Amino acid sequence: MTKNRLYFDLGRTSRRRFLKYGSLAVGAGVVAACTNQGQQGQQGQQQTSSQQDLGENPIKVGVMYSTTGSIAIVEKTLQDATFLAIDQINNGTGPWKENGAGIAGRKIQKVVVNPDSNWDLYNQMSKRLIEEDQVSCVLGCYTSASRKAVLPVFEDKNALLYYPVYYEGNECSSNVIYTGAAPNQQITDSIPYCYENFGPRGFFVGSDYIYPKESNRIAKAELKNQGGEVVGEEYAALGTTEFITIINKIKQANPDFVLSNLVGDSVPAFYRQYKNAGINASDIPIMAYPTTEQEIKAMDPQNAEGHYTSFNYFQSVDTPENKQFVREFKKMFGDDRVTNGVMEAAYLQTFFMAQAMKEVLEAGEEINTKTLREATRGQEFNAPQGKVKVDPDNYHTYLYARIGRWNAQGQAEIIQSSPSAVKPIPWSQALYPGRECVHPSPDDRSDPTKETGKDKLETKYLES
Amino acid sequence: MLNQLALTYLFAQNSGFQIVPIINQLISGVGIVGILLLTGLGLAITFGVMGIINLAHGEFIMLGAYVTVFMQELFDMDLLLTIPFAFLVTAVIGALIELTIIRRLHGRPLETLLATWGLSIVLRGVIKLLFTAQLKYVQSPSYLSGNLKLLTNEQGLPLISISHYRLFIIGIAIALFLITAYLLYGTSLGRKMRAVTQNRDMAKCLGINTSLVDMGTFAYGCGLAGIAGTVLSSLKSVSPPMGQDYLIDAWMVVVTGGVDKLIGTLAGAVLIGESNAIIAFLLSDPVARVIVLLAVIVIIRYRPEGLFTVQKRG
Repeated sequence: MTKNRLYFDLGRTSRRRFLKYGSLAVGAGVVAACTNQGQQGQQGQQQTSSQQDLGENPIKVGVMYSTTGSIAIVEKTLQDATFLAIDQINNGTGPWKENGAGIAGRKIQKVVVNPDSNWDLYNQMSKRLIEEDQVSCVLGCYTSASRKAVLPVFEDKNALLYYPVYYEGNECSSNVIYTGAAPNQQITDSIPYCYENFGPRGFFVGSDYIYPKESNRIAKAELKNQGGEVVGEEYAALGTTEFITIINKIKQANPDFVLSNLVGDSVPAFYRQYKNAGINASDIPIMAYPTTEQEIKAMDPQNAEGHYTSFNYFQSVDTPENKQFVREFKKMFGDDRVTNGVMEAAYLQTFFMAQAMKEVLEAGEEINTKTLREATRGQEFNAPQGKVKVDPDNYHTYLYARIGRWNAQGQAEIIQSSPSAVKPIPWSQALYPGRECVHPSPDDRSDPTKETGKDKLETKYLES
Repeated sequence: MLNQLALTYLFAQNSGFQIVPIINQLISGVGIVGILLLTGLGLAITFGVMGIINLAHGEFIMLGAYVTVFMQELFDMDLLLTIPFAFLVTAVIGALIELTIIRRLHGRPLETLLATWGLSIVLRGVIKLLFTAQLKYVQSPSYLSGNLKLLTNEQGLPLISISHYRLFIIGIAIALFLITAYLLYGTSLGRKMRAVTQNRDMAKCLGINTSLVDMGTFAYGCGLAGIAGTVLSSLKSVSPPMGQDYLIDAWMVVVTGGVDKLIGTLAGAVLIGESNAIIAFLLSDPVARVIVLLAVIVIIRYRPEGLFTVQKRG
């Protein structure tokens, strides 16, 4: 006699009803999960068609950021910044004021997809955008993993991706316009700064995946070139929020500075526990790359006070373009929001794209990958961070290199800035000395890698 | 003075094996144990006492954290004062869920597992809609900042220390552990709870309102998860997926310790927390996770009922 049987006999509920309710409950969960995802994708599309009159013959542009799943916290902000830029272009406001509404009279129709933080979905959805929706180009991706997942699609179909994220470099595709920092615009200036101001002994921490490991590999080589040493290197699984052990190891190694390549949810946890463990920013400061206004806000700014971040843009950059960007962003998304370097890149690349489209249309040509790519090469834009330019050789972007120290209000005091935007070098010169990337003009998609034979490519700046 | 002597003695043999950092790490490990105990306790009730495989346990932790965020945003409340609210809100939500979902799936572990998994997705989605996906932070009370220095070097830098907040977590965890133990083994309500799980039909025949006891037990387990959420919210940032980080650890603790006895949860937490701390210190964090998970698999293989358990009649 089983328990079940007895239960059954008591007649409270039948087996059939168990099954019915059971499958109902499970079904409801699954349906909710699916519709949640579907809805968000549709919302974006409906927004464009119902709220705005797009006029005749709009230009279709794909917007591919996850608004659900583990990376949504970051990617949603990139989507917001992209939407702000598209809004300004369609209405002829902000930086687009002089050009009137739309691009040579035509408006942008955004086709929004949500890959749910799933690398396979990025791949599938980029195919869908290119083949079914026939978008002229795609703005999107955040993690290197998602970029690597869609790269074969863009190269195979010869489509164009605008990618707004600081990344580990060592890549130079004819089908990607990279508007985030290359290694030489973030790592190469921060390591000498640490060496000179904090001391030679660095302790490296990071999340356990490709970007932090590659980035730390480059930083390690840079530090050794300077004559410094790495006294410890620790990685934590993505999403870890328990840092007692790593902090104890830092205490024991007693380095001059800590270099952090932790990302996401780990960042607030690390800074909080670092302070709680009694380490002062003045004793062992943290220099970080992926720690921006967004993460600082999530950790209570006091915990980051006195620590450093190396980035192209900070909300505190003092330019009229930035004041306008911050004001318009807060107006659209709420006063409590902050802007950061990745969002700014997502914002400025939309203008690179629009300017290039304008050039193509004014020349009487059709917008396709070839014309758009050639037109995007060498575009200049007065971005919130200052004047930036798409490098005509390697499709990366001339960006400022800045170092900021966080204050108690969660804003950075900029303590070092390059005189103007720095020429991007996609290949880390510490790891691949003398290697550069030059796409032929017009681009025939041949291998752009060139070995110059030099020890190190020199740092060049954008002439203003 | 004794400290000074001990210090010079320990530093004399500094060249080889360093004992001070290991002790420091062991003490830090106690902080990890506190978190594990706190997150495992709720699960020890819902799984250990009731036998419900609750994959939404992490989401109840998350709900507790959001109650704290909400109370702080609205009333600027101290973290400690939000604990009762977090308990009540998550307990009520837990009771509702027991009433609408868990109860209907009684005795069907596989369906319960799927339903609670679906539930966890729904809860995350609802919270995302209500609070957006932005990371939130809670203000930790200023009187709990700083750390307790047990041993310092000549410059006054702490060699062995533990932060006040970690001590607070351990305190809360042990207090809840004792309260739960008293509730289960010292009150008539606890006797009813245990009676219902040991022999539901007999309990029913003896006049116990089993459905009410079920609901109360599940609600209490969820409430404990809510308290864990409040306390942990200040260690990390608050976001919809935060609970998932704790789910696996909580399960490991409960399964390793044994599901029948509450003391098993404590033992599981100590074992996993300390071994994690030590292995992570000697090797690295990801390696420690692998080794500990493997060890848990081995334990479950040879002692499927966990380390601490009573023999049950068939």
